[in-house]
Amino acid sequence: MIIEVNNVNKSFGAKKVLRGISFKAEGGKAFGLLGRNGAGKTTTIRIIMNVFRPDSGEVLLDGDPIERFGARIGYLPEERGLYPKKVIIEQLVYFAMLNGMEKKDAVSSCDKWLGRLGMSEYRDKKLETLSKGNQQKIQLITAVAHDPRIVILDEPFSGLDPVNALLLKDVVRELISSGKIVLFSSHQMNYIEEFCDDIAIIRNGEIALCGPLDGIKRSYPRDRLVIRSKDYERIAYEFRGTTTLGKSGEVMLTLPSPEDKNTVMKNVTEKYDVDEIKVFEPTLNDIFVEYAGGKRGENE
Amino acid sequence: MKQFKTVFSFEFKGYLKNKVFVGVTLFLVAVIAIVMFFPRITSGKTEDPGVGEAPVMLICVLPDPPDSVVTEAQADGAETLFGAEFAEYSVTRATSEEELKNLVGSGEAECGFVLHGFSSFEYYVKDLSMYDQNGMRAENVIREFSYVSALLNAGVSPENAGALVGSEIKGETVALGKDQSQNFFYTYIMIFALYMVILMYGQMVATSVASEKSSRAMELLVTSVDPVSMMFGKVLSACLAGLSQLVLIFGTAAVCYNFNSEYWQDNFIIGSIFNIPGGLLVYMFVFFILGFLIYAFMYGAMGSTVSKLEDINTAVMPVTMMFIIAFFVVMYSLTSSNPDNMILTVCSFIPFTSPMAMFTRIAMSEVPPAQIALSIFILAASVAGVGFVSARIYRVGVLMYGTRVRLPALLKNLFKG
Repeated sequence: MIIEVNNVNKSFGAKKVLRGISFKAEGGKAFGLLGRNGAGKTTTIRIIMNVFRPDSGEVLLDGDPIERFGARIGYLPEERGLYPKKVIIEQLVYFAMLNGMEKKDAVSSCDKWLGRLGMSEYRDKKLETLSKGNQQKIQLITAVAHDPRIVILDEPFSGLDPVNALLLKDVVRELISSGKIVLFSSHQMNYIEEFCDDIAIIRNGEIALCGPLDGIKRSYPRDRLVIRSKDYERIAYEFRGTTTLGKSGEVMLTLPSPEDKNTVMKNVTEKYDVDEIKVFEPTLNDIFVEYAGGKRGENE
Repeated sequence: MKQFKTVFSFEFKGYLKNKVFVGVTLFLVAVIAIVMFFPRITSGKTEDPGVGEAPVMLICVLPDPPDSVVTEAQADGAETLFGAEFAEYSVTRATSEEELKNLVGSGEAECGFVLHGFSSFEYYVKDLSMYDQNGMRAENVIREFSYVSALLNAGVSPENAGALVGSEIKGETVALGKDQSQNFFYTYIMIFALYMVILMYGQMVATSVASEKSSRAMELLVTSVDPVSMMFGKVLSACLAGLSQLVLIFGTAAVCYNFNSEYWQDNFIIGSIFNIPGGLLVYMFVFFILGFLIYAFMYGAMGSTVSKLEDINTAVMPVTMMFIIAFFVVMYSLTSSNPDNMILTVCSFIPFTSPMAMFTRIAMSEVPPAQIALSIFILAASVAGVGFVSARIYRVGVLMYGTRVRLPALLKNLFKG
């Protein structure tokens, strides 16, 4: 299963919101859709879900144009909210039925998920009586109860305590391993880094960067070494002019060229007591700041 | 279709589980039942002591001119005459005007007449009822008496005089078209019911859409349901809820009326309401549903343009205004001398006014069947049209947050997907 977004453009009035957005996401993998506020992430998601039609371009699922209600998409919107005054099981079943389930299956699936997330005791309570974190879990059920093929999670971890975040991580892993397409949108880079094999960074409605996260990281020049050692001050002194001090006990060394890295590594480990030495790879956070920020990003 | 059914049953169950909705309905059913039983309850109370103890009416005949004398025969005559006319009273003579006033004032007598000969009188009563016609009846009695006296004086025999004065004229009015006085009341009630139900349920539909938007349940709904199913599900479930409420209330009234119909026989208004012809009832049903739908769709669409519940009243104002104007045009025509006037005829083809206007025309005059068919056709087509446009407004409106969406901007975006 593969979802392809091909050269999608979209304007609202005079404002061009999306300009030639293209990317692919495969089943069994998580795809991270990144971008600053207002970059066009939610609009992209809504176009995938067929809430808006693109001005040009197309969204294909396994090569065919995606059907609005046949595609079985599960969606956890960034703006959370259900019916506060309605009984939880009733609204869960309602949403599952709207997504194509029969009533009986909807009830059993919702009950299963309530149990899975430890929420069975709230089954017949009104939503408004729950804490914010628990309401989030209920909202998650609306995204997965109908066994969707594509799951779109917009900021899934915001507002969850560490225990619930762990629970959600399990659920996400399970979704990925069951072969679904999982589309992540988040500002919390650590989660994206943890789950996503591929990412796309959107800036001002354009794809600023797209591809496998591994490859992106490796594409950075491998001419910097991070050395952790109790002798870090001495190392910094020896390579003065090319070093910057990192966290306490760490020094970063910029090489004249990437080819020198093996020689320098060998020399340093022979000469000093080194705990760790590795080629510096940027974190997703660094990549994000570089691509999503920048001068054009500042103007938003 | 499946989605429509899901939305419809979810929304309809929402009404049934709404405590206010259920409470108000039960309250109204109870009130209407009590009202319909009222004459039975009250008549039961007054019947027992009523037998044999008719209220007292006093009469006192004074000479006219004042210096003349009232003969015993004249006074007896007056008593007999009044006794015959006012059979429901026990008519007795008072000795003086003072005594009469005192007795009426203290409540020992119900009322009293002070006659100045047979040319003028005063009617005394403690609390004058709005429906008191005793004065008028007394006038007739006295006039009749003076005619008879005059005829007798002119030498006519008493039999002939009595026959001349007492001859009754029988007249009957037959309406070949519609009896407006007969139809007025249920037309009035239907239009009022439509008015109340549309305003109430329209507001409910608008609030339901706006609260989904403000609670952000919309984010999920709009990705799961197509707007046409959503809009039609919401509006039709409101229509069914409104209709069942009305059927329950008027059904209770009809059942209770039939149970108590003998006690309501004297009441022309109530009688005419419950004897509505079947054909008219069908028209009432058709125009009611279509009228309800066309406005409910517009209310729903307007509800989708606000982000906060507080803004809802401003947003639905144009729809409410239009409806109130339609209501007044129809009400004005209904109560005017000619309900089938030009304005009403025109209004009976405009879909926003035709539910009330055409029904009024059908009830109050003869309308060619082709006109009725045309009006229903225009209305039904407009309901479908307005329904689909509302669904589009809804689709565009629900995702616009922030300040209230202005109508021109909305219409501009409407057909751009």
